[in-house]
Amino acid sequence: MNNILTAANLSKSFKALQVVKDVSLTIQNGEFACLVGKSGSGKTTLLSILSGLEKPTKGRVSINSTSITDSSENELALFRREKVGFVFQSFHLIPTLCAWENVALPLFPVKMDKEIRKKRAIELLNQMEIGHRAEHRPSSLSGGEKQRVAIARALVNRPEIIFADEPTGNLDSETSGAIMDILKHLNKKNGMSILMVTHDQDLAASTDRIIHMKDGKVVS
Amino acid sequence: MYYPYIIKELRHRHNRTLVNILGISFGIALFISINALSSAYKKAAGQPFKDMGADLIVQRAQKQQNNPGSQPKSMRGIRLPFSNQLFSKQDLIELKNLEDINAAAQALLLWEFTKTGFTSIMGVDLQQPALGGLKAKNWIYKGRFPDKKGEIALEKHFAKFKKIKPGSSFMISGQTFDVVGTIEIKEGAQVSAANIYMLIDDARGLLGKSTGAVNLIYLGLKDPSMQNRIKSQISSKIKGASINSSDSFLELMGGVSMISDKFSLIASMVGLLGAALLIIKTMTSNLVERSYDIGILKAMGWTRADIQKQLMVETFIQAIAGGLLGILMGYLISFLLGFLSISIPVPWEMGFVPSMAKQTQALNEIVRLPISVSVSLSASAMGLSVVIGCITGYILGKRTERMKPADIFRQL
Repeated sequence: MNNILTAANLSKSFKALQVVKDVSLTIQNGEFACLVGKSGSGKTTLLSILSGLEKPTKGRVSINSTSITDSSENELALFRREKVGFVFQSFHLIPTLCAWENVALPLFPVKMDKEIRKKRAIELLNQMEIGHRAEHRPSSLSGGEKQRVAIARALVNRPEIIFADEPTGNLDSETSGAIMDILKHLNKKNGMSILMVTHDQDLAASTDRIIHMKDGKVVS
Repeated sequence: MYYPYIIKELRHRHNRTLVNILGISFGIALFISINALSSAYKKAAGQPFKDMGADLIVQRAQKQQNNPGSQPKSMRGIRLPFSNQLFSKQDLIELKNLEDINAAAQALLLWEFTKTGFTSIMGVDLQQPALGGLKAKNWIYKGRFPDKKGEIALEKHFAKFKKIKPGSSFMISGQTFDVVGTIEIKEGAQVSAANIYMLIDDARGLLGKSTGAVNLIYLGLKDPSMQNRIKSQISSKIKGASINSSDSFLELMGGVSMISDKFSLIASMVGLLGAALLIIKTMTSNLVERSYDIGILKAMGWTRADIQKQLMVETFIQAIAGGLLGILMGYLISFLLGFLSISIPVPWEMGFVPSMAKQTQALNEIVRLPISVSVSLSASAMGLSVVIGCITGYILGKRTERMKPADIFRQL
């Protein structure tokens, strides 16, 4: 199987503090991998580097053989728009926009028919079983609904890989299970590659591979 | 670009939006009213001349007398005003030969001093164009304008003060004249006003001169923009001539006119700069508040240009709304200022009353402020508000350049 993501000798320092230390890893196409580790182990920073949200101090990252390490901010933005989907612990929805508009957010700068854009967003919300909440703002949605909107948004640009940073961190166990089911479904049925950060060992156990991090290093 | 997002953001942050719109509108209103006021003062200064139909008034003042013995011993009877000495024949020929003169009219202004006071007497030539003092023949209030020797018309208030009506007689320097009419001086034309109007030959007779005595010349120019050139031509040809135009009034007005003339640009620019700084300040605070949203947009693949476009359209909409409101406010302020009347000081040489009579009759023209907001001024104001919108939008867009999504999320 081909590697969708390859990282080599990644390091990241904030002034004197080195939070990621010489990390090398690969994610295979269609793999559901999980980064686990204690708080402060550097997993969120590593995820940010791998997804192009942040540049490493040292090392290289390539997705589908395209290096993103030397890309400009503008190129990274376009890369995130076209290749990557994000799901965050705090959902990160725009409060003034309704659910379908939040889903369509990555498509707004793209020249496309607004009806097609809306249709695609609503279809994804229907897939997430919250189509009836399409016109609601985030403030009137539950945590689980917000995360479903965030997952729909991650899928709207038909990405090659989804990066999920503690996607169940702010949810109760029942809702967490439902969100994990959606992610697993995306992975198994759609063949979507997913790299998820969590500190929940039970959730991690249900993924294809667990990558352990400790003190900024991948330990297993 | 997704316009509903822009509108939703503006509505969501309605207090900031309102502050920005009001800030710009105050700046624009200030710009419009200051500029309209400036033009109004200039127009007001030109009003006396406009009402007289003349562009220039040419006079010759008496030379300074250093020898006290040469001063008149008595100030009784008919006198020439100090500012209106007679022109020589040569002067009149020089004036007649000037190019670019559309119309010219001559008059003879006299003062009569009596025990009880003084009167100003304007002798006019009915054969000449209706400029300056001759305009009075169009302002008959009762009766008619004198057209025969021995006839006079009185200024309305003077006639009322003296309790004289048309049909009665009036004594000037021992001669009896028939009062054939009263005249109402129009607003702004006080500069050419006298108490008594008569034919120029009668005035010459009072002065004891025969033909040709003239001490006031009104000139209408073919092209009023050539005023300064013609003024200097006259000055070079007629030594000691004083030439007055609307500029002479403006120079004397000082105060507000100086402010509006010299500082209107600066004052209005300060207003606009204030508005621009206000919108930058409020939008910068807005940016800090919205850094979370900007982080999300960047994470979702919005480029700096996409975000800059979004912010520019937001500021642009506020600038347009502020500009339109400002223009409305500017119109309203200008409309209210239009109810004001202003006092235009008359240059001393044009005050057709003796200087010692200042206590009783101020040398001022009271003119209603002719304020108006032109289309070009409104268009300039709108253009400026658009420029403010574009510049602030650009500055704000540049500020988002340094905002990195990972940094923003890390700080949450």
